[in-house]
Amino acid sequence: MSFTPVYIVCSPRPLVGKTMVARLLSEFLLLKNGTVTSFDINLKEPSLLDYLPRLTETAEIDDTYGKMQLMDRLIIDDGEAKVIDLGFHVFDEFFKMCEEIGFIKEAARRHVAPVVLFVADTDRLSMRSHELLRRQIPRSTLITIDNEHILRGELRPEMSAGRMLHIAALPSFLRTYIDRQTFSFTDYLRQERDSSTELHQWIRRNYLSFRELELSLILQNS
Amino acid sequence: MAKPVVIVVGADKGGVGKTTVSRTLLDYFNANNVPTRAFDTESPRGTLKRFHPDITEIVDMTTTADQMKIFDTLNTVSPSVTVIDVRAGLMSPALASLRDIGFLDAARSGQITFSVFHILGPSIASLDEIAETANFMQGAKYFLVKNFINNTSFFEWDQSTYNSYFHRIKDATDLTIPKLNEMAFEQVEVASVPFLKFVANKGTSDEAANYSFVLRGYVRHWLANVWSEYDRIKLTDLVGASKAVTRSGEK
Repeated sequence: MSFTPVYIVCSPRPLVGKTMVARLLSEFLLLKNGTVTSFDINLKEPSLLDYLPRLTETAEIDDTYGKMQLMDRLIIDDGEAKVIDLGFHVFDEFFKMCEEIGFIKEAARRHVAPVVLFVADTDRLSMRSHELLRRQIPRSTLITIDNEHILRGELRPEMSAGRMLHIAALPSFLRTYIDRQTFSFTDYLRQERDSSTELHQWIRRNYLSFRELELSLILQNS
Repeated sequence: MAKPVVIVVGADKGGVGKTTVSRTLLDYFNANNVPTRAFDTESPRGTLKRFHPDITEIVDMTTTADQMKIFDTLNTVSPSVTVIDVRAGLMSPALASLRDIGFLDAARSGQITFSVFHILGPSIASLDEIAETANFMQGAKYFLVKNFINNTSFFEWDQSTYNSYFHRIKDATDLTIPKLNEMAFEQVEVASVPFLKFVANKGTSDEAANYSFVLRGYVRHWLANVWSEYDRIKLTDLVGASKAVTRSGEK
């Protein structure tokens, strides 16, 4: 791959499934590439560090030093995919900083490809935040996540007009099962012999969506 | 031959960011291809000279010899713009000296373009200097530079105080210099390079440097804001230069 992807999983709202998406994506990238670095900037919620402690580093962007520690690594074209689980409490600060330091432009110069995965909701704050991102992020790299666990109504047309990634709802007992901190999506695929189970298919469907997303990135950056 | 331009950057109060503003001016003229020389009056060790050593000379403005060095060469040297960074406490005496040697008269009669960037800090002591400085400003372009060295509001919350300072001088123009992130400022201090070189990730001799991307981003963003203020007051027109199409700091 001639570029380094940086996936930013975000939402201005708590408990919409950001960490679940970040977990799925991190495990997919680890399975596919053999390596991934994940950053947890979500310490106020149940977070990525609890699920993937070996892959995950913590980061804070409350002060300039923390921002340097994080962003100076994200901007490096080292070929290793990175995943950020961005907490709702730092959503505004993170994207304000990206705008100020010219992250998107500099990333393009350095063959780093930021992809923003916005976990959608129907509330006013999510609408406003999505609008802000539409102004700041190129449409091709702003992906709206339609997480069926959260979204019960139709998304507003402005939100669904761009690229979407659908995550189907799981029955509540499977949801509880995957929420255990010791659960690994990839381990489940490897260990469960029956590929027809609902969870098996759910994980494979999501991995396939990520693969398609990555392919479109490759095409875009080629 | 183009009319010589003299820009005095100063304040009587210390710690209000005079040298910082001088540095942004030198970077601005450099980016707009305006040949510029600078004088640093922080004798014997000048801060401005540390950042712009090639074009800066340290002078003691209280001596006649150094006054001659600055003002007797205005028509003979090639850079048409002279920036003088006047150290704290020397602003009023410097302007009085300029009046005494007839420089202010020359500015009034249009032989020289003369501008004063009066750097204001967020204190009444600093704002009180305005009235005193304004007495010398006939024939000069007078800029009141609100330098946000902290999260001040320059008394905007108290309109009568604000108006008594900023709206009293008829021909003065306000300029706003936003606050630069502290760590970014310190990193440029450590690097001892012009802001432009810092943004371009270059060292003192144009060698590749390894400054933080985040801090460079903050400096770039801040410098762009400062320069947009200089664009607003049409600074390049003031110095008689045609504006460059693409500025190096904005690439």
